[in-house]
Amino acid sequence: MGAAAKSALLKKNPTYFLWVGVFFLILTLVVGLLYYATQKIDYVWRWYRIPQYFVFYDDVEIRAEIEGTVKRITRKNGDAEVTVADVGEEESYHVPGGEIRVSEGDFIFSGDVLGSFGKWRVGILLQGLWLTLKVSFIAILFGIVIGLFAGLARISKNPALKWSAISYIELIRGSPLLVQIFIWYFVLGTLVNTLLRQQGIPLIPPLWFGVAALATFTGAYVAEMVRAGIQSISRGQTEASRSLGMTYVQSMVHVILPQALRRIIPPLAGQFISLIKDSSLLGIIAIRELTKATREVVTTSLQPFELWFVCALLYLVLTFSLSMLLQYVERRTLYQ
Amino acid sequence: MIEVRNVYKTFLLPYKVRALVDISASVEPGEVVVVIGPSGSGKSTFLRALNRLETPDSGHIWIDGIDVMNPKTDINKVRAEVGMVFQNFNLFPHKTVLENVTLAQVVVRKRSKKEAKNTAMALLEKVGIKEKAQVYPDQLSGGQQQRVAIARALAMNPKVMLFDEPTSALDPEMIGEVLDVMKTLAREGMTMVVVTHEMGFAREVADRVIFMDDGAVVETGTPEHFFKNPIHDRTKLFLSQIL
Ligand SMILES: Nc1ncnc2c1ncn2[C@@H]1O[C@H](COP(=O)(O)OP(=O)(O)OP(=O)(O)O)[C@@H](O)[C@H]1O
Ligand SMILES: [Mg+2]
Repeated sequence: MGAAAKSALLKKNPTYFLWVGVFFLILTLVVGLLYYATQKIDYVWRWYRIPQYFVFYDDVEIRAEIEGTVKRITRKNGDAEVTVADVGEEESYHVPGGEIRVSEGDFIFSGDVLGSFGKWRVGILLQGLWLTLKVSFIAILFGIVIGLFAGLARISKNPALKWSAISYIELIRGSPLLVQIFIWYFVLGTLVNTLLRQQGIPLIPPLWFGVAALATFTGAYVAEMVRAGIQSISRGQTEASRSLGMTYVQSMVHVILPQALRRIIPPLAGQFISLIKDSSLLGIIAIRELTKATREVVTTSLQPFELWFVCALLYLVLTFSLSMLLQYVERRTLYQ
Repeated sequence: MIEVRNVYKTFLLPYKVRALVDISASVEPGEVVVVIGPSGSGKSTFLRALNRLETPDSGHIWIDGIDVMNPKTDINKVRAEVGMVFQNFNLFPHKTVLENVTLAQVVVRKRSKKEAKNTAMALLEKVGIKEKAQVYPDQLSGGQQQRVAIARALAMNPKVMLFDEPTSALDPEMIGEVLDVMKTLAREGMTMVVVTHEMGFAREVADRVIFMDDGAVVETGTPEHFFKNPIHDRTKLFLSQIL
């Protein structure tokens, strides 16, 4: 905001900054009250314990697998090579970083630690975040494809296509997502995997039933948006393209859909943000996405307050990024 | 070029309207036929039946010897040969002027991008709007948009051009520029069917005038006959109201 704009604003609404102040006061009050309440129940905030659930430094030990004496330790570029020898047997162990706990000539039992090295590992929260991202991304992609075809089928004149689309859309929109996830996992999942097992084919992991549940759920809503988007394009556009000799498909692909899709980007963005949040339900079918990961960490760390706030914040980061991305796409595709 | 025999069309929704009643007409190659008539008399329906944007209930239509009404006819082939210009232009708003004119050439006629562009630029020059090739339709005036729409139709090298009140949505000062393009086309020998209220255009350019009322052809004739000695009372009444 420029200085001129600021003063203009002040003139129009002299109490503007007063109310900005009130806003921050409310914010501070809420946070303060929460903190006060947690103090009352003797909750100890330990924020420093949280980062380890994102990444942590792990100590990896290298153990001998045979019994014998340490014959030789050679060092190369900071790494070390430990050779253990016994009668007629010899084995070498690579120790990156070269932190050795034995010396040449030592007698070693099988299972003794020869050396160790530190390594950064991805924590359970970051793994959960990644899985949430992956599941949502795949479900959105499939949701778009399903929604596109279901939406086109919905406005088709062919009763088989039209009624299939209507049944699908109404069925999905009329029942809770949680129930749909159960049906995908406990009914369809059991059916499919039992059949696969009978045929000796590898089973499908729960993740994919979760993705399927989210994708079909989103697809139904996208279908309605696609339908509304297409119907919002004036009939003249279809007539103009068809009168030039374009087929139905050509007219859809080159003229109608580009305009319709552009128009439905804002509601689509809302739907995809819902999908990211709804993916938290997948925890109940043993998919360790962000929410389930948080729950697991909570039971081991006993820091629920910090963790649930962090969990909510991570979802916010995801949804906010997506919303920004789609706004960018919308601006980019706007014709003049 | 166009042969229409005993065509009927009734709309059932939202209520029953007999839009075309036993329509017969013919248009020779190179002929300019102007269709006039009061609002709701079925002019648009007639025009749209010619390229089956509206499917008649019965009757026969041939365009360049092809039976349009035959379900086995590839209607897209027929439409590619029949250019159509609409009252509301119906340009593709997400495409530039140039893309508007090249799209169907590439998609339907399977021309190369380069060839399509050359054709498009030549036509845009012809309709006097070459310098706007890269802008989007909503940055053009109505008259300019309609000229682009004409160029878009011409780009398919049609054998016939259909115009449905091409100047009705235009501000008066822009009507002339569109009519001029149409006159040039007529002079070059394009076969044209034009629905219009521009009686000056009909008088000057038309080889024949068809007067429609209540879904039927009431009277057909040369402009001289039509404007000087109309036979039917309904024609006389209409002309007295409009002139
Ligand atoms: N798609 C449609 N559905 C129902 N009725 C229609 C449809 N199109 C046209 N009609 C009706 O058919 C009749 C003829 O319409 P048409 O558009 O052909 O008239 P017109 O002569 O072109 O009139 P105008 O000068 O107003 O354009 C009108 O009564 C109109 O209401
Ligand atoms: Mg009309």
